[in-house]
Amino acid sequence: MTRVPMEGKVLNENDQVAAELRAQFARHGVFAVNLISSPGSGKTALLERTLESFPPDRRVAVLTGDIQTDADAARLVKYGFPVRQITTAGACHLDARMVKRALEGWDLAALDLLFIENVGNLVCPTSYDLGEAKKIVLLSVTEGEEKPLKYPGIFHKAELMVLTKTDLLPYVPFRPEIAIQNARSIRPDIEVLQLSCQTKIGFRPWMEWIEAQTMAQTSDNRLR
Amino acid sequence: MHEVGIANSILEAVRVEAAAHAPARASKVGVRIGEMAGVDAGSLAFCFEVLVKGSDLEPLELAIEPATGGELEFAWLELEEP
Repeated sequence: MTRVPMEGKVLNENDQVAAELRAQFARHGVFAVNLISSPGSGKTALLERTLESFPPDRRVAVLTGDIQTDADAARLVKYGFPVRQITTAGACHLDARMVKRALEGWDLAALDLLFIENVGNLVCPTSYDLGEAKKIVLLSVTEGEEKPLKYPGIFHKAELMVLTKTDLLPYVPFRPEIAIQNARSIRPDIEVLQLSCQTKIGFRPWMEWIEAQTMAQTSDNRLR
Repeated sequence: MHEVGIANSILEAVRVEAAAHAPARASKVGVRIGEMAGVDAGSLAFCFEVLVKGSDLEPLELAIEPATGGELEFAWLELEEP
């Protein structure tokens, strides 16, 4: 028996496609974000409120992943921006190849911002790089403060945590400061925003975050 | 649930690596999995076993080496001379 060293990442194939996508996004100055959360944390609601806040000439598009239906795309297409559904037919996450396929025929040069709404799942999407510039994790206040500790992987990889459904805080025993403390014990520099898609309280900082990140990506590209 | 896909990626890479060492056969593969990788070791071991059974790689074994970060990487491959 001999033991030889073996190198490389297990998901090398996915990572290669993700690297291609990342290079494409950079070349066209597209800020791509990967939205990840449990089912029902409000990814689609956040996108609805976000799209409706944009002027009609905003250069934004959405890819939305679901296991079985195109319900999310149907909700999002109303706002007049390009939306495409990725139905994974059973798979619990999006992978880079699905994103690449879904982007076929879209002119990335016509976009500044691409939202990729992952399948509702806090575990599996963590492992799959989609070529995004940032991962955003959503945590709704009805879920529990300890979630970052239970699912550390995604809180380790996400640059931003958005606490959603904050209008429900008076009715649930959720303490945002504990959730934030837990998230920062996993990733000390994770940014945090708190908002409600119902009352739109806290929405302005979210829109500002998106605009600032998009601008940074676009100007990075112009410098190149 | 995504551990099936990960197990499959491991098998594909082992096939490629082992071919470079033919006629030796791969007997065991070592994979480093960080605690932040979002991969459940027990579930991966189960999927790996199911996929190996009846395949050209049987009786390949999987050794999981725990790591601290988000890594999901190959470590080594053990080969048996024919």
